[in-house]
Amino acid sequence: MPFIRKTGDVSPPAAQDARLILQALASPVSEDRWMAARAATELEDADLALSQALRTETDPRVREAMFTGLARIGTPVAVESLLSMLRSDSASLRTGALDALRMLRSLGAVASQLLRDADPDIRILSCELARSLPAAEASGLLCELLAGEQNVNVCAAAIEVLAEVGGPEALATLADCAGRFRSAAFLQFAISAVRDRINVKSASTRD
Amino acid sequence: MNNLKIILIVDDASLVRLYYRSILEPAGFRVMEALNGVEALEKLQSVTVDLLIVDINMPLMDGLTMLETLRQKELRIASTPALITSTESAEKDFAAARAAGANHYLVKPIDRDALVQFARMLCGEPL
Amino acid sequence: MTDAPPLSREEFQQLCDYLYRRTGMVFTETKRYYVERRVHERMSATASLTFPSYFARLRSNAHAELEHFINAFTVNETYFYREDHQLACLTNDLLVERTRSKKAGSSIRIWSVPCSTGEEPYSIALWLLENWPLVDDYEIEILGSDIDTQVLAHAQEGIFGKRALMRLSPHLVARYFSPYQEDQWKILDELRDSVRFSVVNLVERNDTRRQGRFDVIFCRNVLIYFDDASRRIAAENLYENLLPGGFICLGHTESMSRISPLFEVRRFSDAIVYQRPAGGGDHE
Repeated sequence: MPFIRKTGDVSPPAAQDARLILQALASPVSEDRWMAARAATELEDADLALSQALRTETDPRVREAMFTGLARIGTPVAVESLLSMLRSDSASLRTGALDALRMLRSLGAVASQLLRDADPDIRILSCELARSLPAAEASGLLCELLAGEQNVNVCAAAIEVLAEVGGPEALATLADCAGRFRSAAFLQFAISAVRDRINVKSASTRD
Repeated sequence: MNNLKIILIVDDASLVRLYYRSILEPAGFRVMEALNGVEALEKLQSVTVDLLIVDINMPLMDGLTMLETLRQKELRIASTPALITSTESAEKDFAAARAAGANHYLVKPIDRDALVQFARMLCGEPL
Repeated sequence: MTDAPPLSREEFQQLCDYLYRRTGMVFTETKRYYVERRVHERMSATASLTFPSYFARLRSNAHAELEHFINAFTVNETYFYREDHQLACLTNDLLVERTRSKKAGSSIRIWSVPCSTGEEPYSIALWLLENWPLVDDYEIEILGSDIDTQVLAHAQEGIFGKRALMRLSPHLVARYFSPYQEDQWKILDELRDSVRFSVVNLVERNDTRRQGRFDVIFCRNVLIYFDDASRRIAAENLYENLLPGGFICLGHTESMSRISPLFEVRRFSDAIVYQRPAGGGDHE
């Protein structure tokens, strides 16, 4: 048989001290930075170091590991760093930050706060965050947003998620939105599709 | 008909994909879908399309990263025309799209007629 | 169950949208019968009285409901030579690439995780012996890992029933197994001893790092069921477990597009697989 069977596990590298890990975040070798980013999740106080490293990191795979690290650490510093990157001019940083925020346990509070942000681009992204919440909570937050929303693209983002989480409680808000944006062709299309889904749902619950 | 032009819509919003499909199919296009940049690149391994309509903000891999990655691949798929769509409308956003290799950029929400016209133009079809 | 009302067009659309987004699987009207049947089976099993209440359950993934639902559409049963197009890809393409820069006699490491009751890692061994002309030219190490110690114990024993062997020709069974008890066969000791088994939790980096790095990893039908956070961590762990240029194969209905952007997609004639980029280090 050409198969060999090694008896032991590969011994993992000896645990490095925190200082070395944090130093390695600035290594010129991307593999070192990757390993450091992953090891940093287990360190206290790595949140600041990871946030700073992320801002200058150019390797997308290392960035991915850093985003994961920040989400797992989940301290206020880490979350704040993720939130600030939602506002980045770089699409890939925005995507990275949003994907990381999805992992947070405190998602409800974060989503709720972001849905009230003054920046419509932030409100758009946070509709997607709401999707990860339980349906009733998500629907409530999105209807609240929709009721006062003037930006057509924010409305579109909210309606997209309501297609999945919306129930009869959303019908009035949707009708009102359709009334406010009569000439917005896509919104009319989207609202109509979601109202059809919800209306059928409420019919079936009567059985 | 086998000579229909094929458009791959890359957008994480199901209603946007549905809306574009409802416009482009009657206009004579075949439509395929992907909901993030990773899926789009994967589908392009198996199928040649005539046009990509790519949104910018998507989970896992955004539209600009997807386009940059695409433009570095082998010629068959690297040269696929790409229409970038986005809610953003600042000059820096247009510049970023151009730098990523976009052929054109439309700001959402996209007008129905504009979508068809640009689709035809970028697919090399008569308007 | 036959009394359950059919899904409306909107309910079907909503369900398909959800499944597509979550798993990448596409269900169209042509599959309606199968989808509906599965919905009704699961509604019954979960005592969900209406589709909306079942959909809420599916969304929240209470008690792994997504996995239960999807099971009807994937090959979830384990048996020898399951999804053998991936085994064909292994010898036709993956090992060809991996050995391009390896000297004769050097090592090739293949990981099956989760390995369940062992059919997959033993299948790999069997397949290589039967289909790879260069099998004697390298030191091939096959590792099978699972989080469940019970299935691992089963795997170590190497005893299988008729169903597990159903895809193997009588010639293969005769060659590599000996009859054990009624309708059971035991894999040859030499093969049994060729595969090492270990307990591994894919989400636990200390577990995964201990296994070393691999040329090829088979990780089928597990990642797609993890929650967002676990999926990411597991994907990063698996990335670390690949040698540069190494390959990872997912389940037939799975896609990295729902899991992680770390890997590059490669399409071969037998299968679509994912690859850790070969680049030595720095692309800046």
